[in-house]
Parts: sequence; C-alpha cells; structure tokens
Amino acid sequence: MDGLRRHKSMFLLPGLLTLFLIIIFPLLFTIRVSFSGWNVSHPQMDFIGGANYTAMLHDSRFWTSITRLILLAGGSVVIQYVIGFGMALLVWREVRGRRFWRVLFLVPMMTTPVVMAAIWQTIFHESLGPVNDLLGMLGLSSVPWLTESGPALVALMTVEVWQWTPFLFLLLLAGLLSLPKEPFMAAAIDGAGTWRTFWKVTFPLMAPVSVAAVVIRLIEASKLSDSVYVLTSGGPGSSTETPGYYLYIQGLRDQQTGYSGAMSLTYLVLMIVTLTVVAALLTRAFKLKGDS
Amino acid sequence: MRSRLYPMFKYTVIALWACFVAGPFFWAMTTSFKNANAVQGGPTYLPWAQYEPTLTGWRNIFGGAGGVDVIDPFIDSAIVTVAASAISLALGSLAAYALSRYRFRLGFIKNSDIVFFFVSQRIMPPVVLVIPFFYLLQWGGLLDSIAGLVIVTVALLLPIAVWVMVDFFNGIPREIDEMAMLDGCGPFQTFVRAILPNSLPGLTVAAMFCAVFGWNDFFFAFRLTFTEVQTLPQAVVALNSSIPPWWTLSAAALFGVAPLILLALWVERLLSKGNLSGAVR
Amino acid sequence: MNLSATDLCLTVDGVDHLTNVTAAFQPGRLHTVIGRTMAGKTTLLRVLAGLQKVDSGSLTRAGADFLGTPVWQRDIAMVYQQFINYPHLSVFHNVAFPLKRAGLSREEIQRRVRQSLASVGLTDFEKRKPSQLSGGQQQRVAMARALARGTGILLLDEPLANLDYKLREQLRDEFKTLFSDRGETIVIYTTTEPAEAMMLGDVVLVMHEGRILQTGTPQEVYERPATTTVASIINDPPMNIFTGRLESGQVTVAGFQATHVSAHLADLPDGTYQFGLRATDVSLAVAGVEGVVAFVEISGSETFVHVAVGQSPFVVQIEGIHDVALGDLVRLRLRPDRLFAFDEEGTLVRTPSYDLASVEGR
Repeated sequence: MDGLRRHKSMFLLPGLLTLFLIIIFPLLFTIRVSFSGWNVSHPQMDFIGGANYTAMLHDSRFWTSITRLILLAGGSVVIQYVIGFGMALLVWREVRGRRFWRVLFLVPMMTTPVVMAAIWQTIFHESLGPVNDLLGMLGLSSVPWLTESGPALVALMTVEVWQWTPFLFLLLLAGLLSLPKEPFMAAAIDGAGTWRTFWKVTFPLMAPVSVAAVVIRLIEASKLSDSVYVLTSGGPGSSTETPGYYLYIQGLRDQQTGYSGAMSLTYLVLMIVTLTVVAALLTRAFKLKGDS
Repeated sequence: MRSRLYPMFKYTVIALWACFVAGPFFWAMTTSFKNANAVQGGPTYLPWAQYEPTLTGWRNIFGGAGGVDVIDPFIDSAIVTVAASAISLALGSLAAYALSRYRFRLGFIKNSDIVFFFVSQRIMPPVVLVIPFFYLLQWGGLLDSIAGLVIVTVALLLPIAVWVMVDFFNGIPREIDEMAMLDGCGPFQTFVRAILPNSLPGLTVAAMFCAVFGWNDFFFAFRLTFTEVQTLPQAVVALNSSIPPWWTLSAAALFGVAPLILLALWVERLLSKGNLSGAVR
Repeated sequence: MNLSATDLCLTVDGVDHLTNVTAAFQPGRLHTVIGRTMAGKTTLLRVLAGLQKVDSGSLTRAGADFLGTPVWQRDIAMVYQQFINYPHLSVFHNVAFPLKRAGLSREEIQRRVRQSLASVGLTDFEKRKPSQLSGGQQQRVAMARALARGTGILLLDEPLANLDYKLREQLRDEFKTLFSDRGETIVIYTTTEPAEAMMLGDVVLVMHEGRILQTGTPQEVYERPATTTVASIINDPPMNIFTGRLESGQVTVAGFQATHVSAHLADLPDGTYQFGLRATDVSLAVAGVEGVVAFVEISGSETFVHVAVGQSPFVVQIEGIHDVALGDLVRLRLRPDRLFAFDEEGTLVRTPSYDLASVEGR
C-alpha cells in the first residue's frame, strides 16, 4: 500500500491546489482591502481600521438589499419547488408526449440567464411588450412592470421562476425516476388513494432529494445579480437591488474598492451562515416528516 | 382523483406551464423577424398576418450593416467553455477519484471536508471575486485574454465537476480498482484503464453541467474581458436596451441559446436512461 | 517460492480481524481456508494480495519481504465472491487485460485467452459484455482471467458462494480439473463449506474469529479436529458438542447413562468432558437421551432433526423422510464408539476408535 500513499496526493493535489490558489488570493485581497480607504480617487492599500465596517452598519441601502435578497430568493425557490415538483409528478408516469414535455420543461435552465433576461425585458416593456397586451385583452389595465418597484419585483421573480423551476424539475424528476417500486405497490395493496400515497410514500421518499435540490438552488439564488443588472438595473431607484448588484455599483462602477470589500465579506459570511442554518433546518424538518 | 376530470386537469396544467416556458422563445423568434415598424406599432405575434417578416435582425448579427458580429463572440465563448470544462473535468475527476478511493487525514480534516471545500466554492458570489481577479489578471498580463477568462471560469466549474464525479465514482465497486491493480496496473493506470472507461455516464453529466455553466457565465466575462475577447452573453447584453433594435437582440439571443436548447434534448435522454439519478443522491 | 505469513495482526475500529495468523503456503498445492462468515478469510486474502494493510506481523515470498511489494507487482490473481469483471470490456478483452499489462505479444495473448476461455467453456462468448452473461458465466470469465496469466499466486475468495446449488456443484467439479494442472502456483481458496474444502484442498486451514485454529490435510482435520470449534466448522451439519460425565469409559449425558462402554475412552481419567458426535452418528431410538424436537429440515433423501436436550442443541441426520413433529419428545441414541472427547477448554483428547491406532501412535 506504500505505493498508494504517494499516489493519492498526486490525484488530489492538482485540483485542490488549483482551486485553492484561484480562490485564496481574492479572499485575502478582499479581507485586506476592506480595512483600507481604497477608492477611485485614492487607490492605495493604506490602513484605516474598521471605518468601512462602521460605515456599512449605517448603510441602509445595503441592509435593505440583503433583506430583499432573502425574500426574493426564498420566495422564488419555494415557488420553483412547488411548481417543479408538480410538473415532475405530472410527467413522471403515463402522459402523452412525455419526452416532448420533459425536454421543453428543461430548456429554460440551460439557457443563458442574462440573455433571456434581455428578452424578458422586452416582454415586460410597458407599451410594446406582450404582457400588458395580454392584460389588455383580459380587460385589465397596463402595469408599469419595470418602472415601479412592486411590479418590478414581481417581474424579477417571474424571470427567476421561469429560469430555475426547470432545475428543480430536473433533480426531482431524476429522483422520482430512481425511486424503488415496492413502496408504491405496498400502498396500492393497502388501498391508499393518490393523495394519501403522495404524502405517505412519495413525499417522504423524495425528502433527501428535495433538501439537496432546494439547498443547491438557494446557494445559486443567493448570488442573484446578473438578471437584475439586465432587467431593471436595480431600479427604479434602488428598489430591486440585491447585494450582488449593489456591490457591483459600489465596487466596480463607483470603484469604492475598500468599502465594497467590507460589504463583500459581510455579504459572504451572512450568506454562509444563513444557508448553513437553512440547510440544517430543512434536513431536520424533512427527517421528522419522514419518520412520522 | 382518478375521475374523468383528472386527465383534463392534468393536460390543462401541463399546457399552461408549457405556454409559459415556451413563451419567451416564441416571442424572441417572432421579434427576430420584425423591423422597426413592426416593433413600434405595439406587440404583434404572427408573421404575415400581423406584420411583414424581414431578415434584418438575422442579417445584422452576421455582420450586416449597422449590426453586430456574433461569430467572434461565439468562437470566444466556445473556446473558453471547452477549455475551462476540459480543465475542470480533468482536475475534478482526478481529485474526485482520490476523494472517493483513498482516505485523507490532516488533523481534523477528513475526506468529506475536502469535498465540502470544493463544493462550497459555489457559494462565492462572482461579484466578491471579480475585483481581486481584475488586479490578479492585470498583474499577470492576462486581462482581456482567453487564458485569463479560462482560469477564473475553472473556479466556477471545478466544484461542479468534483461534486458530480465523487458521487459517480462512489457508485463504481472498489473491487474493479483492486482487480486492475492485481492485474498489474499502477494507481494511475488503474484510473485510466479501469475506471475512466466505466465513467462515461458520469463524465457526460459533469461535462454537460460544466458546459452550461461555462457558456452561461456573464459576470466574469463582463468585468475581465473587453475588446480583445468578448463572449456571447456579453455581446447580447451589449445589444440590450429599452429602445428597440429588438429584432437584432432577439436574433442574437436565439443564436446564443440555440446550442443550449439542443443540449436539453440530450439531458432528457440522460434522464430517461437513469444516468442522472447518481448525481441527485 | 513459499509464501509465509508470520503473526499477522489486524484490528479495525476495535474489532480484531486477524490475530497472530501464521501460515505457510506452498507452490503447487491448493490450500483451502475454511471458516464461517466473518472468520477473517477474506481479510487474510486481501492482506496476501496487498489490498489490506496489517498492524503487525510479516509476510515473505521466497524468503524476501512481501508486505512492501505494491499490489501490482505481486504477481497475484484473485477471483472474488461477487462476479467482478471489467464492465466496459468484452469477455475476450477482460481475459486479455492482465496479459496486455504484462506486455505479451498479440499472438501470445490471443492464444492464451482462447485457451483459457476454452478451459472454462466460454469459447463462444468472446464478444459479449459481462452484463450479457449469467452469474455462473460471469464467474467463469473471472476464473479465465485469473488463470490466463499463470500467476505465481492464485486467490479465490468463496468463488461459488453466490451461485445456485446446482451450478455450485458443477463448477466445483470443474475446478478440480482446472486446478489439477497448476504447476508451481500457490492456490488459496476460501469457503464456508466443509465438502468444498475437503474435496478441493491439499491442505486445509481452519479459521475462526481471526485465528487459524488448525492446519492439516483434509483427512487430518476431519478425523482429528484440534478443538470443538474446529470440529463444528469442518462438519456439515456442525458436529454436535455437548458436556457429559465419563466414568470408567461410560458416558452420561443429560442424566442418561450409556448402556455401552466407549472402548476408546476407557483409559481416560473419570471426569467431565465435552463430547463431539457427528449428526450421522446420532439416531432416534426407543431409549436414550431425552429431548424436544425444535426444528425439522427435510432435504428429501435425508431428514435433519434439531433436538433440544436441556441447553444443548443436537442435530440428528437420518436417511429418508421421517414423520417427526415440533415439540415431540424424542430419545436419542448416541453411538458410543464414535464419540470425540475434548477437555473442558475444548481441546481434543481422544478420537473415535476407528483411528485409535494413529492417535496412540503419536
């Protein structure tokens, strides 16, 4: 086995070191720069203590963006999960044109989010887009989708749901397809109806896949910023800003490098903590359901 | 539930969702054949019936006058995606194989912690990484270059490759490795001759995920490449504006996502064959 | 070119897998390692193959250290209990795989693969993938691959365990022929079945709880089991072991005194002993040790009656089908001339009369 001891590192290290080196520099840089006054007119790695962090504590625009992100991501992932699971159940078994539906329902997650966001922007256009046209046909009045904060958030959420429900659909359908048949036969023999079978058999069996899929999606959703940039540019005002987008404004557009570094780290730590807690809670909640 | 209403309800729901899913593609398709008059007259949907279709948008994206060229960005995107995916798959499957087969112990750090380190990199928002990357690439003279973009894209894709492949390798019986070693293969030969040939389903899934996430990356390309290198998402977003030359935008968008739509056909095939179930567990 | 293990020890998570295993394996001989499930047989093979490290002890091949030799240089072939083949390769290429690694010429590889496949009866299956074969055929492929190389050491880890009964018997007979011409190869074959161990082995090693309890020819082990544990492992059904009193050659078990004197035990001092008696040497009778029927197995040609005598379980093997019901009170006749006597620790002190001479001759 001595031969193996030398070799196992040779397998692991190239990948591990590559990722470590790619990630470690930005992380150290961000930590260091967050204690400096580096900005557009003063690009110096000086030391100003925790001034950036103090400023951040009073930056309500930042904190609002965090709250907004949590609501947006949480809300849209819940919707995605419900629709994704529902659609997966509908095309799981006998359904006409099964393969066609499956392909179609998968397509959005494959397509480039920013590119599709650009298309969505034309769809939500107040006078020239089809959404208001459809509302008009139904006898409803036009909505200023991208220029008023409430509708803009709805539009953003719609795009997220459109783009990422397929991801949950994919993982949940793959999960459904790999379920063992025996529990379903047992339920059928016991005379359990569709509804009962779902809650007593399908749902508990799908719990591990569900948790994994939702957590992965939450992780990806926590980075939400590209589609905001394309769809609303954070507007109107700052009413659809996510931390990712606000950081882009501060750090890249206005080049407040030091200040955005402080916010970056805070954002990262907050997301790691929140997602860890959520993942733990979900795991526990689904386990309880599975046992009862 | 098994009444006569159920199938009707089922197909209605499926149809509604299908319309929502297909809507943006239909809209982009129809818009790509419009011209200024057709767009500015308010929303129309059916060519010939409601507007006179033209090829202006499509001509524009292939270097027509007043348009943009999508061929160069397509090539840049393809190079970056293929290179970054290949590197990530190579490094990722080697690392995943090591993590699946050998025990690592470094103080309190175990195999599962190393896997977690890889996968957890997905939590890094690109916006946090992009400023340091900017200075790093500038320092290395790699700003606005394919090589620079490939390096940072590997950071996005390597975690995915490791995640998929660890699960996949865990599903291959260890006895196969052992047998290959008994048959005279050293560790590397074992991996190449006995394990890799049996890993095609896993590699395909990993490659698919890498390709999609690589192709779809916008933020890194947006901030780290400018004129020399421009990826397809960059080129399309550059066309985005509330004032329409929507026909060009739509044509470019469809051109950019067309390879991905083809990929979806293939993902469905993997799904039906059960090759994705491993990735789910 | 001996393969010698000395004091091999292995503990994993507080569980002893191997304890002071010492054994010498000789070229040209087939060694069967018999033991129950979890006895450490597989672990021993994995250690010999280099797939498993040991905590202490040494392993030498032709006198030179073998523990430090990497797996891929050990010149060992192994057949697993599960039918392990390369799923991506055809039958032909499965067998050719190790030959290619060994750098043989194309013609030589073809010749050897064909010959090896012919010897296991798979000539017409060259192009199939393992997944297109039955379990028995898959195991034949594994055998062919192991044999084709002509390695110095051939390890077989319960190769028949996962096959159905008929196939197992058939393959076992084939193995006898396959192994008859093995040249200088050291063959080590593990099994849980006494019949397999006896029939195939030149040497039998009896393993239990990580230790080797006895090593000898099949006849030695069968006729002179060193301990009660060995006696029960190498007999199927396991030898009945029970405690009794011996007084002037007469045995008393569960309050019943034998009517006959066991001549071969007559010179043993009086006292309490553990006795061993094969299931075939017990029968149902009008008078004898009383017990309650706990379980009856009927195989057709034979009936196995499990009887509880106090705390001791007995198995009685009788020919034909017998009408015995659960809970019946029965009397057992124990053949006095076939009793093995062990001391209270379980060490053999006397074997039955039929080889009394050889025991006394020692």
